[in-house]
Amino acid sequence: MTWSSRNRRYGEWATENVAPYRHPDRNVAVGAVFRVTGLLESRRLLTLILFAAFAWSLSGVDWLGPMVHTGGPQALLRFIQALFPPELSPAFLKLTLVASFQTLAYSVASITVAVLIAVPMGLLASGAATRSWTTGLPVAVVSRFLLGAIRSVHELVWAVLFVYALGLSSATAVLALALPYAGILGRIYADLLNDVPEEPLRALRSSGASPFQVFLFGRLPMAFPDMLSYSFYRFECAIRSAAILGFVGIPGLGYEIQLSLHDILFDQVWTLLMAMVVMVVAVDLWSTRVRRSLVS
Amino acid sequence: MNGKKPYMVVSEGICKSYPGIKALAPLTFNVLPGEKVALVGPSGSGKTTLLYLLAGILQPDEGALSIDGRPMTSVRPGRELSQLVGLVHQQYDLVPHLSVLHNVLAGRLGQWGLLRSVISLAWPRDRQLAEAALAQMGIADKVNERTSHLSGGELQRVAIARLMVQSSRIILADEPVSSLDPARAEDLLGLLTGLAMTDGKTLIASMHSPYLIRKHFSRVIGLREGALQFDMPASDMTDEVLDRLYDLEQPEPALWGVGN
Repeated sequence: MTWSSRNRRYGEWATENVAPYRHPDRNVAVGAVFRVTGLLESRRLLTLILFAAFAWSLSGVDWLGPMVHTGGPQALLRFIQALFPPELSPAFLKLTLVASFQTLAYSVASITVAVLIAVPMGLLASGAATRSWTTGLPVAVVSRFLLGAIRSVHELVWAVLFVYALGLSSATAVLALALPYAGILGRIYADLLNDVPEEPLRALRSSGASPFQVFLFGRLPMAFPDMLSYSFYRFECAIRSAAILGFVGIPGLGYEIQLSLHDILFDQVWTLLMAMVVMVVAVDLWSTRVRRSLVS
Repeated sequence: MNGKKPYMVVSEGICKSYPGIKALAPLTFNVLPGEKVALVGPSGSGKTTLLYLLAGILQPDEGALSIDGRPMTSVRPGRELSQLVGLVHQQYDLVPHLSVLHNVLAGRLGQWGLLRSVISLAWPRDRQLAEAALAQMGIADKVNERTSHLSGGELQRVAIARLMVQSSRIILADEPVSSLDPARAEDLLGLLTGLAMTDGKTLIASMHSPYLIRKHFSRVIGLREGALQFDMPASDMTDEVLDRLYDLEQPEPALWGVGN
């Protein structure tokens, strides 16, 4: 082997192995372990299976029968006509306002509880909570499993369970929403906390920072803008979900929508739906402003 | 201990291999307190590996390394290690989303307990320490600025201010000026060596420019293929010695010009 070829090999080694070098007992690889699953390796096979499932599902459709039931067009027309105008009497507007406030209160309370659960769980699930990842990995696996378990049950199912246990109380509404949302937020937080650049973290460690201090002064500040904007998006979703809880009897917009639908008072339904849209758009505008002030 | 106490760094035959490659051959050298040592050598010669070993980020496969009379194996990571060695990286590695103040105070994390760190995110502790360090770096007015708003030169000063606040016995710098124009490189090395002189700290930095090495350092250690090629006073190092070290066509990785 000549000197120059040895040097070239050395050069390659230097850029490939030294520059992205990561300390062996740091836990940077935990996220990657979870993300690269066996299924991704056979992406083409997965595509094929999904396509086959779709094709097969088409055979379940009754193509020759009527797609809309006989009274459908008229009902749809009545529903649209009710929009001109919607129910705007002061008494009903007041009822809408109160119902909106209830829905908003439930969603604010539940997203707050969800964030409080999701931040520590996300840190544990990221595997970055301990100095070595021989301990970080099992902690991450267990946390991810717990997060997965609580989010795999839909908020309506949680609501039914809590109605049995606690009755139609505010605690039922808040817990039913907070649990699955904590599962979703915790999972996303874990990934965001894992995906921050490694170099500043390494510098913090060489300043003597413990894993939790690295989280406080490194991971959290760097992941914060994304965590915040995703939390706001989930807050929007929580407003919708809080309304849906009306269908198991929790007071709020959904409950009123259900009552008005039962009485076929579509003009009232429109008013209530508009209140819903106003709230979601307001949260969206708010989140845009907060995020902009953070990024600049 | 055993008569070697006055040395700040004692390295006895340390080696380090990565899978399939030997990064450092057995390396033996000592560094006195207050010395300013430049490490030179082509890419892949083991400079960064040596700095990482000294910083405690990597552990040697064989051999013994002790700093300030203490074997590195007995130094606990965290507070103890951070008081012995501090490392400045090529890219400076600050957290862009935090204020300058918080980035400087990160140098205190080894001293702070958990509660103090949490409180400091909202109400920074040891603020006057950070302000003094920034003043010494000439950027006292940037203390509340968001770090991502600073220029490249200012970022480097913040990184050094963090090191000052960390207050380690040894300052390690991995190619501190390789991304800088000559004027800023001079400026930064002046700050680094000034810091080492006033506080009596030991400085070990990987460098390439012979001019800067002769001007700012007291001693130079040449590495190639992980082996010591020379170790001499910086003033004795001629351009020719350095050219030979970097020479791609060098037929034999022989030892030459061993001094000290």
